[in-house]
Amino acid sequence: MYALVDANNFYASAHRSFDPTLEGKPIIVLSNRDGNIVARSNEAKALNIKMAQPFFETKELREQHDIVVFSSAYELYGDTSSRLMSVLTQFAPDVEVYSIDEAFLWIEEYMGTYPTYQDLGTAIRQKVDQWLRLPVCVGFGPTKTLAKLANRLAKRTPELNGVCVLDTPEAIAEALSEFPVKDLWGVGSRYAAKLKAFGINTAAQLRDVPDDWINSLMTVNGLRMVHELRGFPCHMLEINPPARKTICTAPGFGKLIPDLANLADALTTHLCRCCEKLRKQDSLCGAITVFLHTDRFRKTPGNGLPAKQYSNSITLTLPHPTNSTTELLTYAESGLKAIFRFGYNYLKVGIMLSDLVPGDYRQKGVFVDGPNEKLLALSSVVDKVNQRYGQDKLRLASQQYNPDWPMKQKYLSKRYTTRWEDILEAS
Amino acid sequence: MIDTLDRIPSENIYLVNSARRRRLPFYESLVSAGFTSPAENYIREKLSLDELCVVHPDCTYFVKAVGESMIGDYIYPGSILVVDSVKMVFSGSVVVAWVNGDCCVKRFVRKGHMIMLESSNEKYPPIYVHLGKDQFRVLGVVTFIVSKPPKYVRFS
Repeated sequence: MYALVDANNFYASAHRSFDPTLEGKPIIVLSNRDGNIVARSNEAKALNIKMAQPFFETKELREQHDIVVFSSAYELYGDTSSRLMSVLTQFAPDVEVYSIDEAFLWIEEYMGTYPTYQDLGTAIRQKVDQWLRLPVCVGFGPTKTLAKLANRLAKRTPELNGVCVLDTPEAIAEALSEFPVKDLWGVGSRYAAKLKAFGINTAAQLRDVPDDWINSLMTVNGLRMVHELRGFPCHMLEINPPARKTICTAPGFGKLIPDLANLADALTTHLCRCCEKLRKQDSLCGAITVFLHTDRFRKTPGNGLPAKQYSNSITLTLPHPTNSTTELLTYAESGLKAIFRFGYNYLKVGIMLSDLVPGDYRQKGVFVDGPNEKLLALSSVVDKVNQRYGQDKLRLASQQYNPDWPMKQKYLSKRYTTRWEDILEAS
Repeated sequence: MIDTLDRIPSENIYLVNSARRRRLPFYESLVSAGFTSPAENYIREKLSLDELCVVHPDCTYFVKAVGESMIGDYIYPGSILVVDSVKMVFSGSVVVAWVNGDCCVKRFVRKGHMIMLESSNEKYPPIYVHLGKDQFRVLGVVTFIVSKPPKYVRFS
């Protein structure tokens, strides 16, 4: 039996766990540069605040309602998450940390002190509430897909009190018969539309389709999902996560930038971060994507009409995989020059490294040599120096250096568990 | 020589909870072939305050005391309180709790349907909490108090 434990509105709940006066108040959490809304409490959802909505659009609502705003406090979320995951290992020895606020548990037949799955779920909820003051929902199912589905049901049905157990064929059949396909784990909006075109709207209908048909429509991943819906596990717990397949950095500027020189500076800075991450996981990248776009919501000053928009991206396949910053920068800059158009105010320029291969991979073509080994060695020395003396102490001359550039956060909260100067005070 | 800066490959990095680290025993005796040393049983091991004070590392919080209401319990302004949220709260426990949004450290006493939060300084009257009417939430029980010794000269 698998269980999925998922914290409700994790970011908002993490703030609440150190300030109970926030109980019942709408909370929104903003992205890195206070640009967009990345998390909402239920009360904020009820006010029709949308995920990823630009923060400035909520100005009117904030004047009408008492909305609490936080800049994202990743130190607090990270520590709260690691406490949560560690507490969960007390209930099951095998825990797969699936995301910052979700974990799969593998529950064997023997459950120790808890006679039923329902009791175990209730105990997890009650302990996490007492120890960490976080609300969680628990879903049980014979496969990971069904556990995830049970969790969704537990979240949306208040009568279940946060625990949903799908352990009998009857309970599973009943749950599937009304569950919309678009909410299933692994079905995106694209596949949901495709399935709908064939008249498949509920999970029960999807469970009963022929294997060949689903395999041709949704590849082997779809077939696995259908098997999981029928109760045959295809996804096991992944306790050691695999290396990442792509690396991407694209923080907004916080202000608009019109000229190529400044964009190139920003791009260089992003690229350096990406390359550090790339070398940290000991990979080389084989393709590089540069993209930029203007501010979708900007109005032209004066007449108030929507400003003219431009966005573009370009992907360059490298002659050979590399992780050297200087080498990648040549490609990134030529990519940027190719897609840059004069006369727009840009909000964002970003970079994505893909086609990652292991660090010892060397491919020699007929006309190209492998990566320049001297440059690779140089990059790793730069990393070591920066690790010892601080970020960006040794950097490329073309890299813009502005220590307060990365973050623009106005609504910082305290980091109660990771900084001595921020700990709670009691009178 | 091993360069201390050499990166460890990522697959060799595990999430380690330092609070659960177990020290290897260090034997103080020299090894001599032939005889077993009678001093072999003397093992030197370092002590750590974390080990003493933090029983549940995932559920322990540090809280700073302000004000003098708990001076009778050796809690001074600036003391760091070690608060454990796993320990059961009994009548008489010193707890850190939020009452209507204020975070306080007080002695928890049950009084029928109410809870009395008692100070250990007579200048501070007790706080009565009506469950259901007042917003009340316990963070945890104070298990240790970390303070510096007071600095003063006593004239005899």
